[in-house]
Amino acid sequence: MKAILLVATVVVPLTAQWFHYPTPGIPRTPDGKPDLSAPAPKTRDGKPDLSGVWDTEGTKYFFNLAADGVEAPMLPEAAALYQQRLAQLQKGHPSERCIGHGPTDYETLPEPRRFVQTPAMIAILYESYNHYRQVFLDGRRLPPVTQPAYMGYSIGHWEGDTLVVETAGLDARGWLDMNGHPQTETTHITERYRRRDFGHMDLQLIIEDRNAYSKPWGVKLVLTYFADEDMIENVCENEKDYSHLVVHGKNSK
Amino acid sequence: MCDVRSLSVLIVLLFALAPVSAQWLHYPTTGIPRTAGGKANPSAPTPKTPDGKPDFSGIWQGTDDKYFRDLGAGGAEIPMLPWAEKLYKERKENLEKGHPSERCLGHGVTDYDTQVSLRKFVQTPTLIAILFEGYNHYRQIFMDGRPLPKPTQPSYLGYSIGRWDGDTLVVDTNGLNDQGWLDMEGHPQTENTRITERFRRREFGHIDLQLTVEDPAAYTRPWSTNVHLVYVPDEELMESICENEKDLPHMVGK
Repeated sequence: MKAILLVATVVVPLTAQWFHYPTPGIPRTPDGKPDLSAPAPKTRDGKPDLSGVWDTEGTKYFFNLAADGVEAPMLPEAAALYQQRLAQLQKGHPSERCIGHGPTDYETLPEPRRFVQTPAMIAILYESYNHYRQVFLDGRRLPPVTQPAYMGYSIGHWEGDTLVVETAGLDARGWLDMNGHPQTETTHITERYRRRDFGHMDLQLIIEDRNAYSKPWGVKLVLTYFADEDMIENVCENEKDYSHLVVHGKNSK
Repeated sequence: MCDVRSLSVLIVLLFALAPVSAQWLHYPTTGIPRTAGGKANPSAPTPKTPDGKPDFSGIWQGTDDKYFRDLGAGGAEIPMLPWAEKLYKERKENLEKGHPSERCLGHGVTDYDTQVSLRKFVQTPTLIAILFEGYNHYRQIFMDGRPLPKPTQPSYLGYSIGRWDGDTLVVDTNGLNDQGWLDMEGHPQTENTRITERFRRREFGHIDLQLTVEDPAAYTRPWSTNVHLVYVPDEELMESICENEKDLPHMVGK
């Protein structure tokens, strides 16, 4: 029951879209449907072009980044915090205070997001919370962490056809997933994006943090192109959901 | 009364402007014109995209907070219908309490445009995204020739399409909700409000922006305000996420 309330909080925006405007310039089959198996498009400088609206299916990784038998090799302190969050039915997640998500849970969230790609940077616009991320492609390095942030600071480079994004500068108050796998200010996230054809993008997420995990770990998922649709505005109004969240277990007694 | 008002204004300013104070890191912006001394050269020519359009890419900010507070601050007459004038006065006399930003909902087109805090234009031939430091929010402006939709999902930022009129980027927005305020003092918007923004980057470091508001349901005729944006080199947007309930209890009404 309590979990259902939380799911309703995070998944609501999927239900309605602005209007169905056919995405111009995309490959289509003879019957007019988007041709998801057409070749991946390229930018004018020959890089894979990741532009467009993408989505992912299912919430299992959003809730548990270690779903599917992936081992999250937590250090004892991290494991204790994770168990505590699980036992409290995820109460305390930043999203309940309208703070939104971080890179891993935005990427695994089954809601539309748009990649806006230029040679020097990629902006990822999330439907959820109307939030965005910037990925700098201009060769700068990750900065010393002076301002920890929920989204951190992200730089990217190309390895062949794969966009490799490195993120540091994360805020220890963020959670890697809804279940509560911890992150700290030393968490380093690597995302490897490969658009294997027009309609599909393989994404590998790798978590490294010697203060929380004994070795790097992560998951692989697939993003699919979301043709003929667009994001709708989804601003989070405080206190609407928060008051419905229920603490379970010993804290509620 | 005066003290209370000053305090309220100060609190509003604090949470409207807090993000400006610190920046991630001062990474020199690559590829911009600089003077012999190495400073960005604001009077260099306007850059162009590969397809010959003015390139608005980069970080910009407003120059004067007065328009953020009151779109009529520069002397523009705002011809409100009686109901709109009544609502505006109520909001103003109530020290702006009730503005959506106090509930972390952020701003709309006109108040993000006039806010002094940073915003980045990310320009592609078919879409311009504006990333606001404020609230970590973004806007999309569709440049692919689509028409404005029939509004079915009124929203704080509406739905925006853009086109080129010579060197001027003309952005039309509809689909706004009636819960947003055009400025902090509370000039009303309705679901009929239509906003036209005319952006002209007259040189490297300056954009002239004309905002025109049309809404026969709230104003007797279209009205405009002119503001300026300046280029911000060697800086970056900070994450600025609004955490609820931190400010709301401090807001003081009449």
